[in-house]
Amino acid sequence: MSQESQQDEFEKRTREVLEESATRLDGRTLSRLTQARHAALDQPQRPARGRWWVFVPAGAAAAVAVLAVSSWMGRSPVESTSPMEDLEFLTDAEASEFVTDGEELEFYEWAAGEMES
Amino acid sequence: MTAFVTLAGVYNTPVFGAERSQDQEWMSSRALEQFLASVEKRAFKIAQLSLRNDDDALDAVQDAMMKLARSYASRDSAEWRPLFYRILANGIRDMQRRRTVRGRIMAWLPARDAEDDEDFDPIAQAPSHEPNPARRLELDQAIGALETAVAELPARQKQAFLLRNFEGLDTSETANAMGCSEGSVKTHYFRALETLRARLGEVI
Repeated sequence: MSQESQQDEFEKRTREVLEESATRLDGRTLSRLTQARHAALDQPQRPARGRWWVFVPAGAAAAVAVLAVSSWMGRSPVESTSPMEDLEFLTDAEASEFVTDGEELEFYEWAAGEMES
Repeated sequence: MTAFVTLAGVYNTPVFGAERSQDQEWMSSRALEQFLASVEKRAFKIAQLSLRNDDDALDAVQDAMMKLARSYASRDSAEWRPLFYRILANGIRDMQRRRTVRGRIMAWLPARDAEDDEDFDPIAQAPSHEPNPARRLELDQAIGALETAVAELPARQKQAFLLRNFEGLDTSETANAMGCSEGSVKTHYFRALETLRARLGEVI
C-alpha cells in the first residue's frame, strides 16, 4: 500500500470517527443547539452594507445644522457683547465695586500693560 | 378589455411582487435554518475540541450562528459555510485569549474547591443512542484517542485538520475561514496528519 493511499485511508478513518462522535451528542447539547439556531433565526437582520448611501442626504443636512449652531454659539465674547449686556455690566453692583476699588484697578492696569509689552 | 388587462397589470404587479418578496424571504430563512442545522453538530465538535469545554463550545457556536444570521443572511448561500467557520474560528480564538487572561488573573487568587467546578449531570450527559456493545467499545476507544490527540494539536494545525478533514472544506475555503494562505493550510494540515498518524496509527 502506497504512502498516499495510506494517508487517504487514515484521513477517511479519522473523519468517520469524528462523524460518529458528532452523532453521539447528548440530548442537552442537541437541545441547546436547536435553541441557538432558533434564536439566530428569530433576531432582526442588519440592513445590507450597500445601502449606506441612503443616509447621505440626512447626514449632510445634520452636519450643516450642527455647523450652523456651533458657529452661532461659538462667536467670541467681544463680538457677542450687546448694548444691553454693557448696560447690565455697568449697573451690576460687583462690577461697580471692581471699578471703584483703586488698588485692584491699578493692579489690572499694570497686568494689562505687562501683557501688551 | 385592453383597459382591464392594463389596469390589472398595473394593480397586480406590486401585489405579486410583494408576495414573491415574502416568499423569497421565507425561502431564504428556510435555507439558512437548513444550513445551520446541517453544520451545528460538527461546529460544536470543532469548538469543543478547541475549547475543551462544552458550555464555552455551545456559546461559541451560538455566537457564530447569531452573527451569520444577523449580518450575512442575505449573502449567496454558497458563501455561508466559509463565513460561518471564519466567525466560529474568530470566536474560538477570542475565547481562548480571554481564558488565558483569566488564567493569569486567577493564578493570583486562592484556589477554589474542585467540587465547585463540577457540573456533571449523568442523565444529561447520557448518549442519545446505543450501537451494539462491541462496536461501541471499539468506537469509544477510537473517539477518545482521536479527540485527545486532536485537542493536543497546536491551535492552527487543529483548526486546519478539523475544517479540512471533519467539516470537509476545501483548501481555499479553509484558508478563507482561517484567514491565511492556502499554502499555510496545506502545511498545517500535513503536519497535523503526521502527528495524528504517529500517535494513532495503531488505534484508528
